[in-house]
Amino acid sequence: MKPISRRTILRGAGGAAIALPFLEAMQPRKKAHAATAPQRFVVMFSANGTLPTAWTPTGTETSFTLSPILTPLGPYQSDLVIVQGLLQEGGGGDGHQNGIGGMLTGCPLNPGPFAGVGAPPAGWPTGPSVDQRIAAAWGAPTPYRSLELGVQVGAADDYGRMIYQAANQPLPPIDDPVEVYDTVFSDLHTDPTVLAQQRARHKSILDAVGGEYTRISGQLGSADKQRLDAHLQAVREIETRLTADLTENNAACADPNEPSVDAQSNDSYPAVGGVMMDLLTMAFACDLTRVASLQWSRSVSQVRFTWLDIPDGHHDLSHRSDSDSDAVSKLTQINTWYAQQMAALIGRLQSTPDAGGGTLFDNTMVLWTNELAKGNTHSRQDAPYVIAGNGGGPLVTGRYLSYEGQGLNHNNLLLGILNALGVPDTTFGEADWCTGPLTGLLS
Amino acid sequence: MSGSKRPWLATSCALFGLLGCGSGGGKTTTNSAPLCASDPGPAPLRRLTRFEYGRSLADLTGVDPSVSQALPPDEETMDFDDIADAYSVSALHAEAYLEVAEQAATTLLGNSAQTTAFAGCDPTGGDMSCVTSFISAFGRRAWRRAMTNDEQTAMMQLYADTATPGPTDGLSAVVATLLQAPQFLYRPEPLAGAGQALDGYALATRLAFLLTGAAPDETLLEAAEHGDLGTENGLLAQTDRLLADGRAAELFVHFANEWWETESVTSIDKNRALYRDWTDATAPALAQETSMFLTDAWQSGPTLTHLLTAPVTFADASLAAYYGLPAPSGDGYQKIALDPTRAAGMLTQGAWMAVHAKADQTSPVLRGLFVRAQLFCTPPPPPPPSIVVAPPVVDPRLPTRQRFAQHTANPLCAGCHTLMDPIGFAFESYGPDGVWRDTDADQPVDATGSLTGTDVDGDLDGVPSLASKLAGSAEVASCAATQWFRYAFGRSEQTSGDLCAISALAGTLTGPGGDFKKMVRQTVQMAEFRNLPPESSP
Repeated sequence: MKPISRRTILRGAGGAAIALPFLEAMQPRKKAHAATAPQRFVVMFSANGTLPTAWTPTGTETSFTLSPILTPLGPYQSDLVIVQGLLQEGGGGDGHQNGIGGMLTGCPLNPGPFAGVGAPPAGWPTGPSVDQRIAAAWGAPTPYRSLELGVQVGAADDYGRMIYQAANQPLPPIDDPVEVYDTVFSDLHTDPTVLAQQRARHKSILDAVGGEYTRISGQLGSADKQRLDAHLQAVREIETRLTADLTENNAACADPNEPSVDAQSNDSYPAVGGVMMDLLTMAFACDLTRVASLQWSRSVSQVRFTWLDIPDGHHDLSHRSDSDSDAVSKLTQINTWYAQQMAALIGRLQSTPDAGGGTLFDNTMVLWTNELAKGNTHSRQDAPYVIAGNGGGPLVTGRYLSYEGQGLNHNNLLLGILNALGVPDTTFGEADWCTGPLTGLLS
Repeated sequence: MSGSKRPWLATSCALFGLLGCGSGGGKTTTNSAPLCASDPGPAPLRRLTRFEYGRSLADLTGVDPSVSQALPPDEETMDFDDIADAYSVSALHAEAYLEVAEQAATTLLGNSAQTTAFAGCDPTGGDMSCVTSFISAFGRRAWRRAMTNDEQTAMMQLYADTATPGPTDGLSAVVATLLQAPQFLYRPEPLAGAGQALDGYALATRLAFLLTGAAPDETLLEAAEHGDLGTENGLLAQTDRLLADGRAAELFVHFANEWWETESVTSIDKNRALYRDWTDATAPALAQETSMFLTDAWQSGPTLTHLLTAPVTFADASLAAYYGLPAPSGDGYQKIALDPTRAAGMLTQGAWMAVHAKADQTSPVLRGLFVRAQLFCTPPPPPPPSIVVAPPVVDPRLPTRQRFAQHTANPLCAGCHTLMDPIGFAFESYGPDGVWRDTDADQPVDATGSLTGTDVDGDLDGVPSLASKLAGSAEVASCAATQWFRYAFGRSEQTSGDLCAISALAGTLTGPGGDFKKMVRQTVQMAEFRNLPPESSP
């Protein structure tokens, strides 16, 4: 981390920031007032299902042994809630489409232009994803409502989209760390005087741009009008950011180093993911956002895990037979690697102090999910969910919850997560798929 | 990422045999009305593709077109990047528009010759009448039409609010705003009587984006203002002018690369332990080869037959060595003749072969499926959603045909795979690396197969035997026209008017003297291109 924080620069206003006494500026400062620690939520995604036999823990709710795949999460076992036995309900497209579209929305897909495999062409989901519902309910005064980060997410289509602000409004993940650095952290490396001028100018421009969207929208038919109105909403969101307060104080907040990693080469996949986790952690530390997602590749991911000596494409592997020991071994390694990444994310959050004391992880909930339960059948029964941390809420961790044979959908889990994070909704997603908050999650 | 954008998998097959695999869309009606004016399809609001955005910005401001790379990639559906219904905008996307617009404005304002050319005077001095002229002139080009009084007033107000410390600040704020407005980023068309002719500006905009991938140039805008586009002759004169431009060739290459799915070759890789000649340089070279094949086709007469069968390609010494061909005479990429018993146009391009294969083996499924879905427009029908079939274990040491034997042995699989695999087997002489091979798993390659359920059924032996059948197929001609229709109109075919248009387009593609150029020329004469769409519901 570069030793210049946003507050350092702000304290030395007027373009002379760098010349001001560094040592004093860089002293960690206690927060002057004990603010309520902000709650945070992260979704992590990995693709193509797992191997349920190598994923599912054994034992009871409070006394359980982690499966081979989940072993890397061992150091955090008391922070985990592992949920098994739910059906990740979905509909409207093919298995992968329903999976990634319904995974976080609990909604079916509209008809639309995306060709599926052996299914009618599907569109976007009919409702928002759970993280976006949380962001809307929290309404945090952060510059970014949420951050969608990705690692080599590939083509811009429905297989590569999991976050939805609302029905038909996918939020594409950024998969270039430099772009995240330039966009999200730009305020931290801009001189405050210049920043103030830039903000005033952008405000005028965006006001005028917004005026034109309103003007033209009024001249269009309803479907086209919706499209422009969604664009206008995006413009308004940037305007809101221009007035966000930059004086939040967390000594752990620092301008990150400018990333220098090849964002798209297969073999740099782990390195890109590492940088993204650094940026995500720092975005939380600087309170740039409180809701984030990390999308590893995409549904139907063909990443080749060469660093594990696996030259095959992941999706190809995921379709091989359960009795193919080579494939089973490789898929176990791949999913174990993803568990390591979740552990690494937890580790970063746990080693970063939060503004009000404690660590970022104390007030964060991480959800790891997958668009399928099992790759070679496209089944979404017993889809894998791992929650880490309670986001500063009432969720009791250190538990393994199995709902095997109860015929429950994952909508109940998503609703339970909302409740656990202080969002008092009573249903989530497709109403018919949700019978209430998941029994036993809270209580 | 390897393979095509959709995982057409062995395991997706289930119960097709029991349900039957009927043929799907892509058929044309026999309606012969030349302009297809009745029952036209909708015209959803289109946004500039990233490519069109970069090119238009470059034309307007002198900025490098690659600035568009700051935008998220366009959503791709039906293999095309310009399908209106797939587009969405996030806040970060809107922010990228802001940043790029500012960059373009700075570039333009740094070039006084260009600002003066727009205004007819130097607006950076702050003279209000000159500022007004500049905004009006730049706005006309950026928005592809004259600004209304209200629009002009709003921009003058913005100038007044932002022209500090100097006039250049105000001008660049106005330029940046004009370049983020929906009048620039989208292509809004007037909402008035359905079936009426588009006004000259809207028609000029459709024409320019279709043929040049950019906003109309000055000549075309003037033609629109003079009412020239309202006549058949005037419209065709502008069409022919733009078709002769190098940009039209680039647009054709772009369209064909998306239709043939070859544009994704640069993002695939092969198992380099098995395919040692595949290096970082291979995929870009294969992309270059296909691009040159298509450009040459466009220039020399882009018939469907040429695309499907021509035994020619382009290679430099290095690529020729990769293929095991003699080095071409001359430096750089040269046109070379290939063995007509082996090569057949796009169907044997290395890029196509490599995209439609796995990293470590060929894929008769992907190759056969491409022919069904992209050349016949009859992808296999949906299976029952609840049925899944776990895949069998296969021995990777067996030749391809034996590894895929389950597809015909198991009736659950056979229903669909007999439509795909036997076509794909005809490509077996080409490995997943796109290189000719005589053996597969130490056995002589067997490239026999069959084509069924089409208007050109029969036995196959090698790609040329398939290519000559495809070239004679009315169904393939209709499908090629369908693909073009989707690309040109940015949507799927939906109404009888659409099917009528596709039928007429297919006629100009494969009728006497027909080719893709003639089909493009026919497109702009269609009612659906020249008229307003049916009104969308309020």
